[in-house]
Amino acid sequence: MIINKREIAGLLENLAKEYRVYAPVEKDGNVLLEVIEEGAEAALGAATKKPAKEILFPQSEELFSYQLSDEGLRMEDKIDKTKTVAFGIRPCDAKSMILLDNVFHNDQYEDVYYTTRRKNTIIVSLGCSEPESTCFCTSVGGGPFNTDGSDVLLIDLGEKYLAEAVTDQGKEFLSKLNLPEAGEEEKAEAEGIKKQAQATSEVDITGLKEKLDGMFEHPYWDRLHEKCLGCAACTYLCPTCHCFDIADEAKDKNGCRVRNWDSCMFPLFTLHGSGHNPRPSGKERWRQRLMHKFKYFVERYNATACVGCGRCIKNCPVNLDIRQVLAEIKAQDTGSEVS
Amino acid sequence: MNNNNPYVPIPMRLVKNFTETEDKLIHTFTLEFVNKEDEEKFKYLPGQFAEVMVYGKGEAPFGIASAPNEPGILKFSVAKVGVVSTALHLLEEGSIVGVRGPLGNWYPLEDLKGKDIVIIGGGFAFTTLRSTIQYLLDPARRGDYGELTVIYGARNPGLLLYKDEIKEWEKRDDINMITTIDRPVEGWEGRTGFVPAVTKEVAPSAENSACIICGPPVMIKFTQPVLEELGFTPEQIIMSLEMRMKCGLGMCGRCNIGSKFVCKDGPVFTLAELKKLPNEY
Amino acid sequence: MQNITNVIKDTAKKLLEEKKVDLVVGFAKGSLPLRSTPYFARTAEEAERLVWDEYCENNLANYLRNREEKVAVVAKGCDVRSIVALMKENQIDREKLYIIGVPCRGMIDRQKAGELVGGKEILEAEVKGEEVVLRGKGFEEKVKKEELLYDTCARCAYGNPAIYDELVGEEVPAREANFKEIEEFEALGAEERAEFLAKEMSKCIRCYACRNACPMCYCETCFVDSSTPQWISKRAYSVKDNLIFQGVRVFHQLGRCADCGACERACPMGIKLSLLTRKGVKDVKEMFDYEAGLNPNDKPVLNDFNTDDPQPFLMKE
Ligand code: SF4
Ligand code: SF4
Ligand code: SF4
Ligand code: SF4
Ligand code: FES
Repeated sequence: MIINKREIAGLLENLAKEYRVYAPVEKDGNVLLEVIEEGAEAALGAATKKPAKEILFPQSEELFSYQLSDEGLRMEDKIDKTKTVAFGIRPCDAKSMILLDNVFHNDQYEDVYYTTRRKNTIIVSLGCSEPESTCFCTSVGGGPFNTDGSDVLLIDLGEKYLAEAVTDQGKEFLSKLNLPEAGEEEKAEAEGIKKQAQATSEVDITGLKEKLDGMFEHPYWDRLHEKCLGCAACTYLCPTCHCFDIADEAKDKNGCRVRNWDSCMFPLFTLHGSGHNPRPSGKERWRQRLMHKFKYFVERYNATACVGCGRCIKNCPVNLDIRQVLAEIKAQDTGSEVS
Repeated sequence: MNNNNPYVPIPMRLVKNFTETEDKLIHTFTLEFVNKEDEEKFKYLPGQFAEVMVYGKGEAPFGIASAPNEPGILKFSVAKVGVVSTALHLLEEGSIVGVRGPLGNWYPLEDLKGKDIVIIGGGFAFTTLRSTIQYLLDPARRGDYGELTVIYGARNPGLLLYKDEIKEWEKRDDINMITTIDRPVEGWEGRTGFVPAVTKEVAPSAENSACIICGPPVMIKFTQPVLEELGFTPEQIIMSLEMRMKCGLGMCGRCNIGSKFVCKDGPVFTLAELKKLPNEY
Repeated sequence: MQNITNVIKDTAKKLLEEKKVDLVVGFAKGSLPLRSTPYFARTAEEAERLVWDEYCENNLANYLRNREEKVAVVAKGCDVRSIVALMKENQIDREKLYIIGVPCRGMIDRQKAGELVGGKEILEAEVKGEEVVLRGKGFEEKVKKEELLYDTCARCAYGNPAIYDELVGEEVPAREANFKEIEEFEALGAEERAEFLAKEMSKCIRCYACRNACPMCYCETCFVDSSTPQWISKRAYSVKDNLIFQGVRVFHQLGRCADCGACERACPMGIKLSLLTRKGVKDVKEMFDYEAGLNPNDKPVLNDFNTDDPQPFLMKE
C-alpha cells in the first residue's frame, strides 16, 4: 500500500475518529508520543524522548479505586480497553513490546492492564532510513526495518510511505484504509532502502551472556558505577525497563492503588523494612541493570532486554555509555574465556 | 471488575486481633473469608505468602501462618514495622481487610513424604513454620511422614509465638517440640541457649530427612554449619527468604536474585538452589 | 585548552605518583560529540586520560562528599563554590582535598547546538578559538562559541575558582552577576508565570537526575522518597506535585545553591530548572547580600543572623 505524505494528516485525522491515535509530536522542546486529534501535529520520523512502552505501561496509572464504608466495600478496576493506534513509532520501540510481553504475561500471571492495552493496540512503525549515531539495534537482534512487534511497517520513499502489513491485524487495518496498492517499482525501491539501512553503531554481544555468567564477583563492577548519579534517566527512558512501584493514595478508607515506574538504580528499590539492602551501593545497582538486560532476562525469556535504541546513551547526565560498558565487559579477563 | 486481575485483593473480615508477644510488637490476625467463592479459589500450601491490605493504607506481604487444614480462615502474625503493619495492629475486630494471594511457592512437603522432618525457627519468622507443623500434624497426613522435630528459639519466653499451641504440641508424642530462649529466666523450664547450639545438642539425624529453617540471618548463618556437620546436604536444607516485594507476580522487578524472583520462584529455596544464585540477598 | 589538559595531566600524575592523593576526579573524553565525562584516575597511567575542554559540564563537587581517601579534583568556578558550601556543612574535609582550579569561560550546551543546526544530528564538533564547527551528515556550520554556552554559564560571574591549591590556566575577566531572565520572569503576570511553570513541570518524569546531579542535594532520605509520611504523590503526571518537588528542593537550596546549573543540565527532559534555582539565588543575594560558596570563612546565610540584616521579607510592601 502507498500513503502519500500529503495525505498523512488527513489519514491520521480520520483514524482519530475511530481510535485513540498516538504519534510523535513536538511538544515544548521534546518529541513525545501524544494522543493526536489533528493529523498535522504529527512529527513522523522523529525519535521520541520517552519510549513507546509508555502507551502500554504508563509511567503512572491507577489500578483500581476503592471505597470502604458502613454500606460495604466498593471496588472498581480501571482497565483501559480503548482501541488504539500507535503511529510512526520506531522499530526498536515496537520490538521492545515483544520483550515486555514476556514480563507482563508470564508463565503464571497476566497483567490485565498491560495485556488489554496490548490487545487493543495496532502498532504502525516507521522504518529508520537514517539511524542516529547512537543506534545499535542491529547488534541486539533488531534493525532499522525490523518488524518484530509491528503490525504495519512504513518505509519512507521520499514523497510517500510504503506500508507493509506484518501481521494479520495489520493487514486488516490497512485494508480498511482504502489505500492504493504499491507498484513493483515502489516495492523495489523499498527493498533497496531496507537493504542499505544499517545501524551506525555496533556492539558485539556474542558470548556476552556466557561471559557475564562468571562475572558476578568480578572487580570490574567496583569502579563502573563511580560516576553514575543513581538517577532513573537510563531506566525510565529505556523501552524495555519494566520495573514499577505500587502505592496507595487514599484518604480515610477511600482511595486508589497506583503504580508508578520505578528503577533498580534507586537505593530504595530494594531496601528492606529492617534497613538491610541487598544492593546497597551503585556497584550492585549498576551490576543489576547490566546483568538484568544481558543475562537474567536471557535466562528467563531467552532474549536480550535491550533493543539498541540509544536513549540511555543520549540521556545519561554523566555520559555513562552502555556501548562502552559492553565492550569493556567483553574485554575483561574472567578466567573462563569465552570468545 | 475483572476476576482474573492479580492485583485486586479479596475482602476478608478480621475476626481476631491477638497480641502474640509480651512486647506487643507482634499480633496474630485471624481473617475470615467474606465470600464463599473466594475461599474456594484460595488454595494454598505451607510456605506461601499473601499481600494483606488495609484499606486506605496499602498492602504488604506476609507469610501465611494458618494451614490448609484450618478451613474458612487465614492467619498472619505481623510485626509492627511499617505503615501497613502498624495500621493492621490498630484495626478493630470485625473490620474488612483485603488479601491478595496466595503468592509464591511452598515447602516441598509432597516430595518429603516418608522422611523425617526437622523444623528450625527463630524469632518471629515462625509463621509459615507454624503452618507447616499444623499441616503435618493433620491426622490424615501425619502417617505419611517419619519423625517430626521442631526447634524454636526466641530471646525470652514472652517473645515466643503461639505459646498455647506449643504447650499442646509439647504434650504430644507425634512431635518432638523443643523451645529455647537465649538466656535463663526465672520460671522458664525449657532449654536455654541459641538455636545453633541447641540444634547441635538435639542432633537430629540427617538420614532420610530434610530440614526446613526460617529465622533471622544470624541464626541461619550459624545454624547452617551445624546442619552440615550433622550430615545435612544442601539439597536437604530448605529455607524461606525475605525480600522487599511489591507485586508478588514476578513483574515489578525488585525481588530478584539473579534470574529468580523471590516472590514467584521463591520464597522457598533449597540451600543447593541458593548456592547457584548470586550472593545478593 | 590543550595546554590546560596537559598541565592537569602532569599535575595529576605528580600528585598520584608522590602519593599526595589517592584519587584524581576530573574529566575524560566522552563518547558523544560535545561531551566530556567525569573520570576517576587512581594511577599515573589513568591520569593520562584526563582532559579539559568546553564540554566539562558536570559539577564534580558531587563526588567529593565524605570521601575517606585523599582526593584531588579538577574544579571550575562553580565546582569550587559547591566545594566551599559543602565544607561549611562538614561534607568535605579541606585537609584531604587538593583543588586543581581551572578558570572557566563557560561550557557548551548540546541542546543549543542541536537547535542551531535545525535538530539535525551533530556527529562531530571542533572548537577553533572562539568558534565552534559543527558537522553532521551533509552539513557543516560555524557558530560563535559564545552563542552555544549554557544559559547559566553565560550569566555566571564566578568562572574563577574562589579557592584552590593550584590554578591551571589564566583567570578570566571579572563579570557582573546577571539575573536578566529572572527579572523578565518576575515582570510577568502571576497567571503567565503559573502557566509557564506548569508547562515546564508537565515534562518531568521524576527521574531525579536533577537532585542527584546537585552536590548540595544529599539528604539521606529525600522528602520525595519518604513513605512515612508520604509528603507528595509519586505520580509523574502530576504538575502540582512536580512543582512541590522542585519548589521544596529550591527552598532547601537557599543560600547553599552555587548557581552551577548542574540540575538543569542533568535533566533529560530539558526543564528550565535554573529559573527556580536562580530566583532563589537572586533573592538571597538581594535580601541578605549573600552568595553561596564564595567565602570559606563566612557562615551559610540561613544558619546565621545579624541584627542589621536587611529583612525586606518581614516588611509589608
Ligand atoms: S542515567 Fe547515567 S547517571 Fe543516571 S542512573 Fe543511568 S547511568 Fe547513572
Ligand atoms: S538499554 Fe539503552 S539502548 Fe538498550 S534499549 Fe534500553 S535505553 Fe535503549
Ligand atoms: S534494568 Fe533495572 S529498572 Fe530496568 S528492568 Fe531491569 S531491574 Fe528493572
Ligand atoms: S531531572 Fe528533570 S525530569 Fe528528572 S526529576 Fe528532575 S526535573 Fe524531573
Ligand atoms: S515482588 Fe514484584 S517481581 Fe517480585
